[in-house]
Amino acid sequence: MKYSAMLLLAATGLFTLQAQASSTEQAPERPDKQAPLPSFPKMPEQTYLTPRPLSAIPDGAFGDKVRLGYQLFVNTQQLRDKYVGNELNCTNCHMDAGRKANASPLWGAYFAYPAYRKKDDKVSSFEERIQGCFNYSMNGKAPASGSPELVALSAYAYWLGMGGLMDEAKISGPVPELSDTELLKGAKREDFPLPEGLAKVMTVEQRANLPGRAYPEIPKPELAYSPERGKEVYVAHCQTCHSVDGQGQAIAGVYALPPLWGPKSYNWGAGMHRVNTAAFFIYENMPFGKSMQLTHQQAWDVAAYINSHERPQDPRSKGDVKQAQEKYHNDSDYYGLSVDGKVLGTESYPVFPKKS
Amino acid sequence: MKINTLVISLTLVSGYAAASDTPVQPTGAMPPSAQLCVSCHGAQGEGIEPLGPRLAGLSSEYISTQLHHFQKGIRQNATMMPMAMTLQGDGIEQVASYFSAQQVKTQVTPLIRGKQVTFADDTARLAYQGDWSRGLPACVTCHGPSGLGGGLFPRLAGQQASYIKTQLLAWQDGARKGDVDGMMANVANKLTAAEVDALATYFANLK
Ligand code: HEC
Ligand code: HEC
Ligand code: HEC
Ligand code: HEC
Repeated sequence: MKYSAMLLLAATGLFTLQAQASSTEQAPERPDKQAPLPSFPKMPEQTYLTPRPLSAIPDGAFGDKVRLGYQLFVNTQQLRDKYVGNELNCTNCHMDAGRKANASPLWGAYFAYPAYRKKDDKVSSFEERIQGCFNYSMNGKAPASGSPELVALSAYAYWLGMGGLMDEAKISGPVPELSDTELLKGAKREDFPLPEGLAKVMTVEQRANLPGRAYPEIPKPELAYSPERGKEVYVAHCQTCHSVDGQGQAIAGVYALPPLWGPKSYNWGAGMHRVNTAAFFIYENMPFGKSMQLTHQQAWDVAAYINSHERPQDPRSKGDVKQAQEKYHNDSDYYGLSVDGKVLGTESYPVFPKKS
Repeated sequence: MKINTLVISLTLVSGYAAASDTPVQPTGAMPPSAQLCVSCHGAQGEGIEPLGPRLAGLSSEYISTQLHHFQKGIRQNATMMPMAMTLQGDGIEQVASYFSAQQVKTQVTPLIRGKQVTFADDTARLAYQGDWSRGLPACVTCHGPSGLGGGLFPRLAGQQASYIKTQLLAWQDGARKGDVDGMMANVANKLTAAEVDALATYFANLK
C-alpha cells in the first residue's frame, strides 16, 4: 500500500519534470550550480521514505564515515574558516539533520545525482551538488573533490536513503558498504550497486523523484509579493527567533536560531535567495515547530522581505552588479534591484570571510 | 507621599545591606522592589525549591515579559500573580535587571547539537534530536546547547525539576500562555506524561 503510493507520486513527478524541462529550455544560460530543483505540490495523505534510526549505523570504517557525515551536517560550524564562511549549519535548511520530508532531505537528493544538464552538456555528481551548498549557502569555499568531508556527507546521505528504501522493500540486513568513489557520484545511474531485489521494485527515474524531495511548490500569490507586507508577517511570526534585525540568536556561541540576511547568512548565489525557493521552504517549515500555518500569500511576502536585504556577494560576480544580475539573476529575486534607494548587490558583504 | 516611599526604600536597602553584610553598591544592589521576592526566589535569585524557581540565568527581557504575563493573567499562578501585582512603575524593570544580573553558580559545559550522534538515553535524544515523526523539534534548538537559554528562551539547565514539570503541565492545561504563536505550548502539548517527568529530571540535572 504505502509502497504503491510512493510509486504513484514518483511517476507523476516524472511527468511534470519533463513538462518543466521543456519550458525552461528557452531560458537564458545560467551556469548556476544552485539551479532550482524540480518542485511539486504536496499531495495529501502522501507517505514518505523513513530512514533508519541513527543507532542502526554499523560499527567500523564505513559506519564512521556515516557518523562523521551526520556530525558535519548538523554542526557544520566545526568547518568554520576551513570551508564555511557564515554562521549556518546544513541542517538549518535541510531540517532534522537532512531527514525531514519536504525540507530538501538528503535521502531524496542522493538518488537524484549524477544529474545530467542538457544545457551545458555537463553531469553534476552528488559531491558537486554538495560543493555548491558550501560555496553559496554556507558562503564558504567547498572542500576539494574526494575530500574526507565530501565522502562523509555522501556516505550519510546514501545510508539514510538506502536504509529507507530497503525497509520499504522489506529487504533486511545492513546497508551495503560502498567505496568512496561510488559514494561521491550519487545513485542515479544504471550501474549503481543495489542490494538484490531493489532494482526490480523501482526504476532509476522513480528513485530520483522520491516524494518529499526538495521543498513543495505552493501556488503563485494572488497579489504580487511585497516586502512591505512581508515585514508585518516577519514582526508577528519570525522575529522572536530570528531577531528584529534578522541576525538570529547565538546561545553559547552557537546560532541555533540562524541569521536570515546580512554578513552571517547565505550569499546572493544560494538557492534560498530566490523568493520562490524561500517561500516554498517557509510555507512548509516555518515558523519552526509549526505552531501555526502561514497563508500562501504570507509565505511569499515574508520570503520577499527577508530576501530584499543585503547579504554576502554572489561569488560568481566579477564586480559588476548589472552584469552579474543579467547573467545569473533574472528571476524571482532582488539582486541588482533598488530597495530603499540602494541597489542590492552594490554593498554586499564579503565572500568567505574569516570569523573575527 | 513621594518622600515617604523614598524613606521606606532607603531603609529597606540599608536593612538588606546590613543583613547580608555587603556594602551598598550604586549598581548591582538589590532594588527595594525585589526584597519581597527573596523569600521564595533567594537573594541571588538562586531559587528555593519548592517555594519559587531559580531566576538567575534568565534574561531581563524574559523576566519582565513573564511578570507582565502574571499581571495580565495570561500566565496563571495563585502564588505569583499577586506578587507581580506589587510591581508598579518601573518595578518590573528594576527586578528584571537585578535578577538577570545574578550568575548561576554551577558551570555547564555546553554540548553542541550534532556533536553526539546517538543517545542511549531516550530523553537526551528527545532533547537533542526531537521526534519529527510527531512534529516535535529538539528542545536545544530553541533553548540553546544544553538548554542554556538566552533572550526570550529561558534557561532550562539546572532549573528545579518540580518547576520544569509544573510548567509543561501548565501549558498542557492552558494555565500558561503568552508564548508567541503558542510555540512552546505546541511542544508541551505533544509530550506524554512520562516524557514530561523524564525531561524535567534531565534538564534539572544538567549542571
Ligand atoms: C541557507 C539554506 C541552506 C543551507 C545552509 C544548505 N543548503 Fe543545501 N540546499 C538549499 C536549497 C535551497 C537547495 C535546493 C536548491 C533549489 O531548489 O534551488 C539545496 C539543495 C541541496 C542538495 C540537493 C538536494 C536535491 O534534492 O537535489 C544537497 C545534497 C544539499 N543541498 C546539501 C547541503 C549540504 C551538505 C549543506 C551544508 C554543507 C547544505 N546543503 C546547506 C539550501 C541550503
Ligand atoms: C521558533 C523559532 C522560529 C520561528 C518563529 C521562525 N523560525 Fe525560521 N528557523 C528557526 C530555526 C531553529 C531554524 C533552523 C532549523 C534547524 O536548524 O533545525 C530556522 C531556519 C530558517 C531559515 C533557513 C535558514 C536561514 O538562516 O536562512 C529561514 C529562511 C527561516 N527560518 C525563515 C523564517 C521565517 C520567514 C519565519 C517567520 C514566518 C521563521 N523563520 C520563523 C527558528 C524559527
Ligand atoms: C510566595 C513565594 C513567591 C514570592 C514572594 C515571589 N514569587 Fe515569583 N514565583 C513563585 C512561584 C511559585 C513561581 C512559579 C509560578 C508558576 O508555576 O507559574 C514564580 C515564578 C516567577 C517567575 C517566572 C520564572 C520563569 O522562569 O518563568 C518570575 C520572573 C518571578 N516569579 C519573579 C518574582 C519577583 C520579581 C518577585 C518579587 C516581586 C517574586 N517572584 C516573588 C513564588 C514567589
Ligand atoms: C519552538 C521553540 C521551542 C522549543 C522547540 C522548545 N521550547 Fe521550551 N520554551 C520556548 C519559549 C519561547 C519559552 C518561553 C515561553 C514564554 O515566553 O512564556 C519556553 C519555555 C519553556 C519552559 C519554561 C521555563 C521557565 O523558566 O518558565 C520549559 C520548562 C520548557 N520551555 C521546556 C522545553 C522542553 C522540555 C522542550 C523540548 C521537549 C522545549 N521546551 C522545546 C520555546 C521552545
